[in-house]
Amino acid sequence: MLSSDIQSVAGIFRQSAERFGDLPAFATRLRGGRWQPLSFRDLYERGRALAVGLMELGLRKGDAVGIISDNRVEWILAEAGIQLCGGVSTPRGTDVTDADLAYMLEHAEIQVCLVESPRELERVDSLADQLPRLKHVVLLSGEVDGVLSLAELELNGRERLAERESELEERLASMTSDDLFTLIYTSGTTGKPKGVMLTHSNMLSQIRNVPLELTCTDRVLSILPIWHVFERMFEMYTLSRGVCSYYTSARTLGQDLLDVEPTFMGSAPRLWESLHDRILEGVRQAHPMRRLLFKMARFLARRHHASMAFLRSEIPQKPRGPRICIWTRKGVHLVRVSLLLPFYGFFNASVLEAVRQKAGGSLKATISGGGALPSHIDEFFTTLGIQVLEGYGLTETSPVLAVRVSGKRVRGTVGPVIPNTECRIVDMESNRVVWPDPEHPEQGCDQRGEIQVRGPQVMKGYRRDPELTHTVLSEDGWFRTGDLGCVTWNGCLKILGRAKSTIVLSNGENVEPEPIEARLTQCLHIDRVYLCGQDRRHLTALVVPDLQVFRSDQPDIHSLSDLAEDEQARRLILKEIKHVQAQSGDPRFARVQAISLLSSPFTVGEELTNLQKMKRHVIEKKYAEQIRLLYQSSAEVPS
Amino acid sequence: MNFGDTVILHAVDQALLAVMIVVIMFGMGAGLTLADFRAVFRRRRLVAIGFVSQFGFMPLLAFGLAHVLSLEPYLAIALILIGTLPGGSTSNMFTYFARGNVALSISMTTASTLAALVMIPLLLNLYTPYFVKQIGVELENGPEFVIPTANILVSLLLVLVPVAAGMILRHRSRGWAKAAEDTAGFMAMIVILFLISTTMIRHHALVAATPPSVFLAAITLGLFGFGFGYHASYFLGAPPMDQRAISLETGIQNGPVAFAILLLTFPDAAVVNPMLWMTILYSTFIVCSSSIVTLCLRKRGQFDAEVAKNTVVHRRLFGPDYTTRYPDGFLPARIRKDPAQGAFKDG
Repeated sequence: MLSSDIQSVAGIFRQSAERFGDLPAFATRLRGGRWQPLSFRDLYERGRALAVGLMELGLRKGDAVGIISDNRVEWILAEAGIQLCGGVSTPRGTDVTDADLAYMLEHAEIQVCLVESPRELERVDSLADQLPRLKHVVLLSGEVDGVLSLAELELNGRERLAERESELEERLASMTSDDLFTLIYTSGTTGKPKGVMLTHSNMLSQIRNVPLELTCTDRVLSILPIWHVFERMFEMYTLSRGVCSYYTSARTLGQDLLDVEPTFMGSAPRLWESLHDRILEGVRQAHPMRRLLFKMARFLARRHHASMAFLRSEIPQKPRGPRICIWTRKGVHLVRVSLLLPFYGFFNASVLEAVRQKAGGSLKATISGGGALPSHIDEFFTTLGIQVLEGYGLTETSPVLAVRVSGKRVRGTVGPVIPNTECRIVDMESNRVVWPDPEHPEQGCDQRGEIQVRGPQVMKGYRRDPELTHTVLSEDGWFRTGDLGCVTWNGCLKILGRAKSTIVLSNGENVEPEPIEARLTQCLHIDRVYLCGQDRRHLTALVVPDLQVFRSDQPDIHSLSDLAEDEQARRLILKEIKHVQAQSGDPRFARVQAISLLSSPFTVGEELTNLQKMKRHVIEKKYAEQIRLLYQSSAEVPS
Repeated sequence: MNFGDTVILHAVDQALLAVMIVVIMFGMGAGLTLADFRAVFRRRRLVAIGFVSQFGFMPLLAFGLAHVLSLEPYLAIALILIGTLPGGSTSNMFTYFARGNVALSISMTTASTLAALVMIPLLLNLYTPYFVKQIGVELENGPEFVIPTANILVSLLLVLVPVAAGMILRHRSRGWAKAAEDTAGFMAMIVILFLISTTMIRHHALVAATPPSVFLAAITLGLFGFGFGYHASYFLGAPPMDQRAISLETGIQNGPVAFAILLLTFPDAAVVNPMLWMTILYSTFIVCSSSIVTLCLRKRGQFDAEVAKNTVVHRRLFGPDYTTRYPDGFLPARIRKDPAQGAFKDG
């Protein structure tokens, strides 16, 4: 528990050093399956030395410090140094584009920038003429002549620590919770990056309010980009609880899951999709007996969980009908649970446990954020017995607004809003608050509208952009998320898509593309799918086919561009799409009428954000010609 | 109690039971490797504790119960037979659920199954003479009743044949062995549930006629076994995870072996019926009681299991000499001296 007198993130570093001392706080992979721990005490002591080192460079309280790096232990050391001398960390990953990088360093008025490796150093150097304010660049790893390294910075600081200690203490004592903790530049989905200003109280409120219960015995695998706000919050949380974070990467994830046996993970939906695919592929390659056992296990588990969800009122739709019917249904579910229990128990211990071992085996739960978790993935892991708690939040809200908690694990929702946070649903057209309705507290459920929130985690504003701040943040503290949603009968928030991504067809019908896209991505032959149709008569889709699947049938296909020309492949996929849409009962206007296959995959930084979300405006622009042709050709096809 | 002409197990039941025994023992073998045998010696101290509970305490307890409750001789002999049985693969599954040390459970099962070849005949000859004499008195002029030691030994060896076959499969193909293990467990469960429910329904008159002392004996044997295993291992210094494994291993006996011995060595219906009845009662109650005990142990064991796991992972990743130092007061007294905490190596 965080003690109540802590005013800044720096206090967390200190308190944890006192409380958890020699326990490992962070660990990084060495060679041969060995890992290097960094204890809470060392983190704090080295952070203090770095803080003095930064002060020696002339860093004042409240100055922004850039960190251009991916996940590594030096990152958290740098963060400790910056926080312990009252600086404002301004992080970005190494995949940032040159334009964004230059914009961010200049906009945040950064004088000291820490970079991961000589490669990033070169990039910053090449932008030097656009960055008149930048005075010092520090290398986190590697060595370049004449450039200060993190180790040297620490050494310098350690030498001067005794001398400047009182100054350091004074600085920390003068910090208030309203001071800035970090500046996060999000490329967002439109235009220039926005500098989100988060304060210490934003971060501290998250640590206090996020409904997680981790302790010293937990192990967390860190996979999300470290500069992303969810990962930052989560690291601060684990730090405050004495949990050890193990840095992993997409490349080593499979092995690290087995080595570290994490008990908890913060992650994005894409990770679960790939894990899901990998598990199913493993099952597909097993011999028939094992496949059969797995099928039986899933069959039983699915029914067990469905009944349990009904009995616990953890279903998204309120059961209808007279009370007697509902109680009868409860009775039937109760009987089903008790009849299946011995068999489910057995399969859970033998078959499902073997599958769970592939995900480390110790996972108690995981949190998924940064995008909607497709419902079939959600269901898959629930039946396996791995709780994937879906959460919801934005960089602007530091980030967590809602998360599924025990007792409210309603699939398809992001759970109830976290404590000390207010939420309302506002109708987009009438601007009327549809939920909560003060006069009719029972009503307003399932009414859709924009989600607006107010709470201690809402940002201070966008840096040097009061106008933009004003459009999203009202005078009385309500923040407009720009997401469409509703609140279910059992008090869980359900996200229905971006308010802005809604496709309005020329006939006035509105289509939310995300849920349809998520469903279509399940098709065997589809890797990615993008729906278009704004102001058109019908929906069409751009499809990135799944090359692996096609190649396993036709080895002569070598690349996506081969496939893009393949009329047969196009027909096959369109047929699949039509089948899926017909099965899921999409209304006629929301059905895809024509598709076009893309000759190259979507890439992060280009069509995709770091969290693998599609940047709709980029795709719309990049493939404008292809979309135009698609409509030209499909106009001849009677719909 | 009088069994009259009741046929406890019909030919169909017997066939089912025989198939189940073969399948279960095969599945058990399919889960075993030679490494498990070697592990027995590595954990000899804990395995020895388990051995003493299983072959020292349990038969004695069965004998004591039979005396105190003045069971009829055949029922008493069956109870003692159950008391001398080795552990089975069921206990491994329950240990997993109870967050116990599954590896230890497997080691104990392995060791006790082998030891049973010697221990069962030995213990039967030690504890049953009193009851055998009683039968002799009752029969007076009838044929003399003796415990057929040689036959029991043969049936034990027969039971080990599918175990060996399972081990061979495991040696050849890991994937198939795992499938066999799971299928066996699943089939066994269906057959056990089926047999219990049908016999209970078919013989409800017998259930009503069974004196309470017999029920008491069938229930207490398992329950006392759990209790003794749990506390005795605690006093002998076993850490909580191992305590849970030893407790379940002691209480849960390998029921199928009892059925195999009974069906293979006692052809006389008058003799075998009461014995089968005792075994069925024990099996029925042990399913319920071990489920409840497992749930309790599971709840109690969550924290311990997490602490132990964390230590294991730390040592694996940070080197065997790494010691995890928790803040003062974080670890409760019961596990502060636990070897799994880093005080000494996995014993």
